Amino acid sequence: MSTESIPHSEFPISNFSAGLPVEVGRIEKELGRLWENTGDKTRASLINLAIYTEASENVAKNTELISQIATEHACRAILIYANRTAPEIGVKAWINAHCHAVNKKEICSEQITFQLDGKSPTAFANVVFAHLDSDLPFCLWWQAPFHEPHDSKLWSWVDRLIFDSNKWDDPAGQFPIVRQIAAFGDVRTVLCDLNWTRLLSLRSALAQFFDHSNALPCLGNIQAVEIVHAPGARVSALLLLGWLANQLGWQLDSVLGRHSFRSADRREVTFRLIEETGAGISSCRLMTKLSKFSVDRASGGEFFHATATGGPLDSFSQILPAGRQRIADILLKELSRGGSHPLYLQSLAIIEPLLAE
Amino acid sequence: MLHMPSDAPNNPLREGLLSRSVPEPCTLVIFGATGDLNHRKLIPALYNLAADGNLPPSITVVGFARREKTDAQFRSELETAARKFSRQKINDELWANFAGSIFYHQSEFTNFEGFETLAKRLDELDSQRGTRGNRLFYLSVGPDQFPVILENLRKSGLNESKPGSWTRVIVEKPFGTDLPSAIELNNIVHEAFHEKDTFRIDHYLGKETAQNIMVLRFANSIFEQVWNARYVHHVQITASEPLGVEGRAGYYDKSGAMRDMVQNHLLQLLTLTAMEPPTDLTADAIRDEKVKVLRSLRKITGKDVAKYTVRAQYAAGSVNGKEVVGYLDEQNVPKDSQTETFVALEANVDNWRWAGVPFFVRVGKRLPKGATEIALHFKGVPPVLFHQTEQVIDDNVLVIRIQPDEGISLRMSAKLPGSSLRIEPVKMDFHYGTSFGKATPEAYERLLLDAMAGDATLFARRDEVEEAWKFVDAIKEAWDSGQGGPVVKYDSGTWGPDEADALVKRHGANWRRL
Repeated sequence: MSTESIPHSEFPISNFSAGLPVEVGRIEKELGRLWENTGDKTRASLINLAIYTEASENVAKNTELISQIATEHACRAILIYANRTAPEIGVKAWINAHCHAVNKKEICSEQITFQLDGKSPTAFANVVFAHLDSDLPFCLWWQAPFHEPHDSKLWSWVDRLIFDSNKWDDPAGQFPIVRQIAAFGDVRTVLCDLNWTRLLSLRSALAQFFDHSNALPCLGNIQAVEIVHAPGARVSALLLLGWLANQLGWQLDSVLGRHSFRSADRREVTFRLIEETGAGISSCRLMTKLSKFSVDRASGGEFFHATATGGPLDSFSQILPAGRQRIADILLKELSRGGSHPLYLQSLAIIEPLLAE
Repeated sequence: MLHMPSDAPNNPLREGLLSRSVPEPCTLVIFGATGDLNHRKLIPALYNLAADGNLPPSITVVGFARREKTDAQFRSELETAARKFSRQKINDELWANFAGSIFYHQSEFTNFEGFETLAKRLDELDSQRGTRGNRLFYLSVGPDQFPVILENLRKSGLNESKPGSWTRVIVEKPFGTDLPSAIELNNIVHEAFHEKDTFRIDHYLGKETAQNIMVLRFANSIFEQVWNARYVHHVQITASEPLGVEGRAGYYDKSGAMRDMVQNHLLQLLTLTAMEPPTDLTADAIRDEKVKVLRSLRKITGKDVAKYTVRAQYAAGSVNGKEVVGYLDEQNVPKDSQTETFVALEANVDNWRWAGVPFFVRVGKRLPKGATEIALHFKGVPPVLFHQTEQVIDDNVLVIRIQPDEGISLRMSAKLPGSSLRIEPVKMDFHYGTSFGKATPEAYERLLLDAMAGDATLFARRDEVEEAWKFVDAIKEAWDSGQGGPVVKYDSGTWGPDEADALVKRHGANWRRL
């Protein structure tokens, strides 16, 4: 294990490498030394952001990501690379700092990177427990598939469990595990599926059609939903569908393998998920007998064209922000939102039968 | 402040997306659209709201002003301004879309026909753009123009809401120049608009830290317990600026610091600091509590003004390394002007919570630096233990910084490391900019959005304005009758006259070093 000490002159400003190697037992001490004699640099921290990955190539990517996140969310970042195929159990550590200028001051966030070799059942929880910045919220971004068994003590410490269901090979198998983890936290842990966060702008764009009382009744007359999504974004499309169904009181109705929804007044609401090349969800249309409400992603990707036509409404069209789809932007959005996401689990419950198809 | 969702029928798709009221499609008519406020603040704010997806669909902006110009010319001028003053970089596609919603209507404010044609044009825009008859009139003009505009709005029927629609008016400060004029102005406004549809802007209330005062007080159990006369020795509210009158002498010399700043911004901050917890977060519940504070303010009348207030005027001096002239030598300022550019006063809130706690208010031009803050100075610890070692122990101070560098700090005492017992003040400091890297929205963004949503929490109610004038008028009357003595001088670039220091020293306090 490396025990290299850090000369004061070597302030390890992030270059997207893991940073300076340190002995695991001396991390806090070395971090303390790091912040001595740093002139106009200010250490700031609002959250603990731990990232767990099982891919070595993700260490550099995540370090770059942390650097971007730190510009808006000062944090103590703990990046954990689990090298589960290593023959021997062991832990290596590095420290790093990400600084950016704010009003002539340099504001810095710390990063501690761990490499966990082998399949130690307790090493992950230990490095997390030992290096959290006390009293600050703990956000854990789990970038790997969830494995069983779970360490309930670890999960009960997590305030926000972040994951991306679009990355899963087996969403039907993963969601039940996620539910189980959420239950460990004694309803404290907020599940933050980045796939759900991705839908935020699109949900807002759809919702704004119905802010006016003239348009509101149309929600009760929707007959069909069409969602166009990229090949890798079926779970996103299903979540969007689940959200609409949950909010509008539709129940999934499956007859001989054909799925549709039933509204509270027993009307049928059909849906089509259309797979097309592109990124994410490119279009969503809600149709009543007389009106059509469309949200289409503009070619550049940063805006939606929202159009309402027909029926008792004045037709109109407007441009709305679609939000950037880079993973750093999605994560920033999620961290900025805060709060719990009760609709997520409700929406998920509705479309769970469709996940395996 | 926090906001509950609107009482309008619920849009189920909005659940979980927003924690504030949702604005409806509307037309915003800006009177004085070629003026500075529109270019620097309103249009950039509207663009930023559009860029963040917060504007209601079909929002339409109609500029109303005297000068002759086309829609295209108006849009072009506004684009130049938005590129200069917007907090977000202008996106060409988004601007093009937003600019398509902007129109220009040329007319004199006194020309009734101009309002008739405006009414027709608004009807046309309603049907073209789907704004559904909702109208928000923004009086971005001097108060002398209010009566004629409001009168013409009324005569042309533009003040009336159509069935299922709303009509509101936003009024910029100053809301009158004294109580009678404020009452008159409010009566004129009310001839055209109901109080519930009247939104009096005080942009200080749109600032994040001002909104955070209630969160700090009522969402943290440790502060509210000590937020009273038992623990607080005194409160200091300061708004300082290094600028002089900067070409506004015509307005400023009639107004002075008391009317320009104390009557509105500083008394608003005082009410937020001193108010009781509201019953809920609705606009009227909060404003009810603020009004109670204003009613509890002990009036400063007659000879008391000499004891409780200081008024002063800047003399020549040095600010930021530059030699500057005194107030009387500023362009367009009468040589015998008695207008105050500095006010310090001791206010007393005569209620159960604050009995005996002075609220020191200080505002001035040509001071060493620009800063607005509220500081609660807590009572000292009993004079035992550490006092016996000839230590000077500074009292705890909780500071809420409104601008610049918005944040909160707490001063407390700590032992210096070492074998001897030395106690020094240390500061725990929270900076919005450091902790939340994202730029906070401009005050006007929040306020415009709230007005479109019909949420009046951050706007001054009629009784607030009038109660504030009662307090200020009493002082002004005493000053004008000579009971406060002459206006004293202070050198530009200093923190005001010695008399201001004496005001707080009487209570064993000192003004904070900012």
